[in-house]
Amino acid sequence: MELQINDPFFQEKNKAMDGLYSVLDPELMVNIMDLGLVYDIDFASEGKIIITMTLTTPGCPMGDAISLGVKNVLNEDFPDREVDIDIVWDPQWTVEKVSAAGREQLGF
Amino acid sequence: MVTLGIGKSPRNSAVLPFYGAGTIFFLGLTILMFIAADSFKEHFFQPHTLALVHTAALGWGTMIIFGAAYQLMPVIFEEELYSSRLAFLSFWFLLIGAITLIASFWFFQVGFFMITGGCLILIAVILYNLNVFKTAVKSALNIQKIFLIVSAFWLFITVIIGVLLAINLYYPYIPSNHLEILKLHAHIGFAGWFLQLITGVSSKLVPMFLFGKSNNVKLLKVAFVFQNIGLLGFLIDDFFIGASDRVYIYYILVLMGILFWMAFLVDVYKKRLKKKVDIQMRHTFISMVSLLIALILIPVVLMVSGNQWSVLYGTFIFLGWISAIIFGKTFKTLPFIIWNMHYKDVHGRKNIPLPKDLYFEKLLFYQFWSFLAAFIILILGILLQQIIIIKFGLLIWIVVALLYVFNVAKVFFHKKTI
Repeated sequence: MELQINDPFFQEKNKAMDGLYSVLDPELMVNIMDLGLVYDIDFASEGKIIITMTLTTPGCPMGDAISLGVKNVLNEDFPDREVDIDIVWDPQWTVEKVSAAGREQLGF
Repeated sequence: MVTLGIGKSPRNSAVLPFYGAGTIFFLGLTILMFIAADSFKEHFFQPHTLALVHTAALGWGTMIIFGAAYQLMPVIFEEELYSSRLAFLSFWFLLIGAITLIASFWFFQVGFFMITGGCLILIAVILYNLNVFKTAVKSALNIQKIFLIVSAFWLFITVIIGVLLAINLYYPYIPSNHLEILKLHAHIGFAGWFLQLITGVSSKLVPMFLFGKSNNVKLLKVAFVFQNIGLLGFLIDDFFIGASDRVYIYYILVLMGILFWMAFLVDVYKKRLKKKVDIQMRHTFISMVSLLIALILIPVVLMVSGNQWSVLYGTFIFLGWISAIIFGKTFKTLPFIIWNMHYKDVHGRKNIPLPKDLYFEKLLFYQFWSFLAAFIILILGILLQQIIIIKFGLLIWIVVALLYVFNVAKVFFHKKTI
């Protein structure tokens, strides 16, 4: 996920992304940002943050923990906003979405 | 929150009791093996050998596999487990049934206890089948699901025949040779239950663990056809016509089925992105090698006289193939289950441990090498028919079990740190 400098919610998104870098996939031990699991962070709806994200595989046993991790981090950083998580399977996650830092941590 | 496709784990009561009991059974198995070390030199149809085989197959193998299957069904079927309550109920039937059956074999009490033990296990298997089918019908079929469903069916057939054999020991009514039917019972268990369950689950999990994807799903479909035609042909021919050299045809068919499955795993391994293979996956490798050696031993068992060949075959199946895969997969599943229990709700906060911090990785490493040592020494002892070597190997097996129990207990009794 890339953040544009001219984004009207640049600061908020930057802060959210910083927080999400601390949410690890407990199995892979790599954060969900470097894994490329987060597709979009939307601050446009008032009082809400809508996270569009995916998981490495449908039925991922850690899926519940990961989405709770996202909620926990964002609730702490943005206590006045409700966090809504939208899990999508299209586009499907592939290893091409993993960042260079993530690849290094995974030993690719 | 949209939760479609998120793995909803079953209740812990549907999984953890199986891991706990299976671990204790494994320790019990190694102690019983040491006590009954002479069994490794004798014909397999002996009370102690029957008790050991059923401790390995039911108390250890099936017990852990039931727990793992209940945990993994949502991953493989991409649907919530139909009923955690039924799963928990199946645990009690399997536990009490296995203890009763094993004790009745050990003390060779044919009749009430043996038949009751078998019937309790049958109830556990029916409950397991119910959960598999009810969970499976909610989603579209794929080859991994088919393997899981069919393996459950073969388990049911295995246990039905087992109960009929237990009755036959008390009240002989089966016209054919008891040992011939016992052979069918054992091989439906190996090639129907264990093989097809492991084929299905491994073809889903190994690509996930290695970050390798094979597009060659056709290999698995062909594997399924070969494994089942071979097994069915063997059963029908052997039961209705009788033992003959045609057994080699069925053997080759099942062997082909196994080779196609292994070709799929090799393809995944070659295409893996994660270059470093962890200690858990090394266990999987040993497991596969053990299975291949067991398969090579089948013609030897059929053609060469001597008890050591069938004992060796059983050793490679239970202590090599099934035990090694359980050793590896235990630490790929159990720490995550316990971690989810303690830390799921606080995930994202600082300083929470990771699943890998819940067990001693170093101990797993020692366990791996002592397992290899125990396994090789035991095989040597069986081959040389030397009781001292067999006992020495079995003593190291107890060490393996203690290391395993200690590490599993560390995960089980982990205290939440936040």
